[in-house]
Amino acid sequence: MIFKQFRHEALNQASYIVGCPRKKECFVIDPADDLGVDHYILEAADLNLVVVGVLETHVHADYVSCARELAEANGCPHYLHESAPVTYDFTPFFDGQVFEVGNVRIQALHTPGHTPEHTSYLISDASRSAEPWCVLTGDCLFVGDVGRPDLLLGDQALDVMDEGERAKTQFNTIKNILFTLPDHVEIFPNHYGGSACGGVNMSGKVSSTIYFEKHFNLAMQQPDALAFAEFVRETAKPLPDNYERIKSYNLGLIDKDQLKGATL
Amino acid sequence: MTPEEVRTAQQEGALVLDMRTPRPYAREHLDGAVNLQFNRADLVDRAELVLPTDLPLIIHGEPEAIARVAAKLLAEAGFNVRGHLEGGLKAWKEAGLPVREMPTVEVDDLNERLGDWLVVDARDGFEFKYGHVPNSVMLSWVEAWQDWESVPEDSRPIAVICGDEIRSSLVASILERQGRDAQLVVGGMVDWLDREYPIEKGEG
Repeated sequence: MIFKQFRHEALNQASYIVGCPRKKECFVIDPADDLGVDHYILEAADLNLVVVGVLETHVHADYVSCARELAEANGCPHYLHESAPVTYDFTPFFDGQVFEVGNVRIQALHTPGHTPEHTSYLISDASRSAEPWCVLTGDCLFVGDVGRPDLLLGDQALDVMDEGERAKTQFNTIKNILFTLPDHVEIFPNHYGGSACGGVNMSGKVSSTIYFEKHFNLAMQQPDALAFAEFVRETAKPLPDNYERIKSYNLGLIDKDQLKGATL
Repeated sequence: MTPEEVRTAQQEGALVLDMRTPRPYAREHLDGAVNLQFNRADLVDRAELVLPTDLPLIIHGEPEAIARVAAKLLAEAGFNVRGHLEGGLKAWKEAGLPVREMPTVEVDDLNERLGDWLVVDARDGFEFKYGHVPNSVMLSWVEAWQDWESVPEDSRPIAVICGDEIRSSLVASILERQGRDAQLVVGGMVDWLDREYPIEKGEG
């Protein structure tokens, strides 16, 4: 398996290339416009890989996505969970769907909470073992923290769930889906460090394990969903300034020129 | 460059370098294109080993960002780069210009019907010596542009193999451009050795 994490240090954002060196194909996960379409094209080429799909964990509110342009440039599908409320065409997938590329298997695990469509990607490499090796947790579970449930647009059709529902769902998702994965599974998040997308306990370390977060993630040490929601509210950072415009762009509601200056 | 400009330049002696990975190249490529796979780390080094710097070059890459970067890197290294194909394979085909497919050979088929091909090994000499497909002949990728005529005339198609596919596709594409019936062994010696098919050692 080829697994490469790209970090945009100013955004504290992480994106990924996951591919098979024998099949010479890969997926790009959560590409950021601040790095740019060409960045991912050239990185994939440097790794001798053809990009066969662009996956996103969710519709982001905290950075501008370039998934649409990257998929178009490569002539490949742009995948989102079937419930994603976007206005443009994408290729929907459902919970449990498996993307295979050579020896590498990427399974979609619907992990709602931060957003209703949020999906984590469980990755295994058959050339090593059928056991899952790592999971891309997006904005569901971070290293030391969890994704915030309050990046809402105030439009029920787009938000689907309010803050309280999101927090409760997030707690149950992490507990029942991510924390039931084997302890050895590595966690690779969509954000780290100072990112405004989580709370004050987010670590600058860019990966962790299920075991470590199960035992030492402070938000997940709370006894129940209500206490979790309270903890997340108390440890949240200030709301990022431009999240509504960024989310609107990523949903396809506004054009890129309407985004000017909207950086976090 | 437009597809028509590329075709005219080809007819005047320019070489199209296809920067894609070997499998998409094998599926479909510009008639006459040679497959030198892109990467930023050593594209220039490999080009310098294989091609004369005065040869006029046109770059084909998909997505097009690859063609732009490759053209810049090669031009900066002193190659005679004329430009890159705008619009890629899609534009080329829409202009009605000729494409070719390079047949591929699986190692299982090669092993079962070994006598059906003349096997050409595109690796470096030390790798060939260490172990190669029985009865294969060597045409190292570094020498292929100059020495392609050293591959004996044979009524059978030529199956070109290397460790993986990058060097074999380069050599196969050079042979194809010279009118030889070249085919690409996918998976290369890695797959051949994985399956424990027979090898010969020595100079061959």
